Amino acid sequence: MIGVRRPMRKTRNAVSSTLLLLVTGVILLPVFLMLLDSVRSNADVASHPIGMPASFQWQNYVAVFNQMGYLNSLKNSVVVTASSVALVVGAGSAASWAIARYTRRWANAAYRLFIAGLTIPVFVLTTPLYLLVQELGLLDKLVAVILIYAAFHLPFAVFFYVSFLRSVPEELEQAAAVDGCGPFMTYWHVILPMLKPATATMSIFVALSIWNDVVIPLLFLSSDNTKTVTLSVYSFIGTQGGIQPSQLFPSVVLATVPLFVVFLILQRHIVAGIAAGIGK
Amino acid sequence: MRFTAKTAFLFVLPALSLYVAFVVYPALRGVALSLTDAQGVVGGGFVGLQNYQEAIGDPAVLAALRNTLVFTVFVVVVQNALGLGLAYWMQRQPRVRAIARAGTLLPAMMALVTVGYVWSFIYSPLDGPLNSLLGILGLSGFQHVWLGDSSTALIALAVTIVWMYCGYTATIYLSGYLSIPASIFEAAQMDGASGWARFRRIDWPLLAPALTVNLTLTVIGSLRVFDPVLVMTQGGPGNATQSLSYLVYKNSFQNLRFGYASTIAVLLLALTVLVAFVQTSILRRREVSW
Repeated sequence: MIGVRRPMRKTRNAVSSTLLLLVTGVILLPVFLMLLDSVRSNADVASHPIGMPASFQWQNYVAVFNQMGYLNSLKNSVVVTASSVALVVGAGSAASWAIARYTRRWANAAYRLFIAGLTIPVFVLTTPLYLLVQELGLLDKLVAVILIYAAFHLPFAVFFYVSFLRSVPEELEQAAAVDGCGPFMTYWHVILPMLKPATATMSIFVALSIWNDVVIPLLFLSSDNTKTVTLSVYSFIGTQGGIQPSQLFPSVVLATVPLFVVFLILQRHIVAGIAAGIGK
Repeated sequence: MRFTAKTAFLFVLPALSLYVAFVVYPALRGVALSLTDAQGVVGGGFVGLQNYQEAIGDPAVLAALRNTLVFTVFVVVVQNALGLGLAYWMQRQPRVRAIARAGTLLPAMMALVTVGYVWSFIYSPLDGPLNSLLGILGLSGFQHVWLGDSSTALIALAVTIVWMYCGYTATIYLSGYLSIPASIFEAAQMDGASGWARFRRIDWPLLAPALTVNLTLTVIGSLRVFDPVLVMTQGGPGNATQSLSYLVYKNSFQNLRFGYASTIAVLLLALTVLVAFVQTSILRRREVSW
């Protein structure tokens, strides 16, 4: 009986595996379409909506690359994302350490205040934030966007760091104190290195969320030289009528490629983070 | 490490001041603003609950509430069903698991804006890829102006979101599966439980934590949907794809009605808090009862 069933099960698994790969391929069809259509001419796409490129029109990219000011927007995205993440990590880890170890009432209240911000939809804050940023004279300045992103992601950072710190014993810190380390030295030499794995996972998710966001740049950045990549895709495609596939797809691909590269490199961390239930 | 009150406060201060300045203060100011008739940056006068009275009779707000409900239910049900199905499949085929997971997860790495543009193109009415595909399959009767027809536009947006995140949902369910000890499945097999019976009696209850995470993420994400509306439909046709977030955007940054927009924002916040509260208490009870 078993001898008969084994090979059958083997074939069945092979078929099932192949089908699963096929389904994955079907799910990825829009991604293939995006890549293929980015190097097709408009006439080619119009005559065969689904199909391979008749010839590869690499000049599509050259045109879009310049029109949407890709390099400049890439630079802005890097500056905004890196600065916001650095602020979130620095301010977030310091606050979390104190909250996790100093358990007086006000520290607990501060913790609850941060946690309350975990599920606030961004549009609850946008209108008053606009007034605030305008009063501070920071409209169309990258620094405004950086401060807003950092503030928005602090609840997540505090939640993440505090639960991490509560799961590790205090002994290392106490040993440092015995050795004569003050709080700032302990933070720098003991806490930050200890938080490294948590910092790595959290930074990836905060960075992805900031890089992909269009709302904050849309409301607070207006001139061409401050635009982030996501905003420049939106203003390139969304604000001019009659956009053609030969412009749409290269700009979408240019915005997406950095993310796919990051995903390929950091896949293990990203999958582990998602599995741990980290928000998108 | 023994913190003195002063050092503890010094360590909390940078994060707290940033957070109070850019989250807590705007949130409170938004509530105050919702009671005024502020137009743009020109400070408005106090009008009491007038904006709220207007909002509960505003067809756009009512449409947005209805759309939110339909959109949320569709995304939650379909995305979780697909994600769970994919996870079940991946769990049984370890040889292709990693590649299937990476492939289905790829769309979730893209920006919502770019996904919106790709799918706008897929849905385009004349010879769009979707309509052409239906034609090739001999289903030309189903060809449609997907985003221009008020009966399909909202579902078309929901499908876009489901496409983007079903791999994400699957990844969470899969990790739930992989955390179940193999001995439990072996014991089930010895007891003769297989197929649907095994799934219902063993997989499903053991996946409760994964279900909690997925439901929370999909519901909270659906309530605040904005990017696909902005990019694909601008709330139309009519109010068919109107969302609360998009209405806040439109009223404040296109019509410059800051007071009224803040009222809708407060409604959005109230709805989010209510749903989160109900969800947490139901799901928590469920996890405990197993």
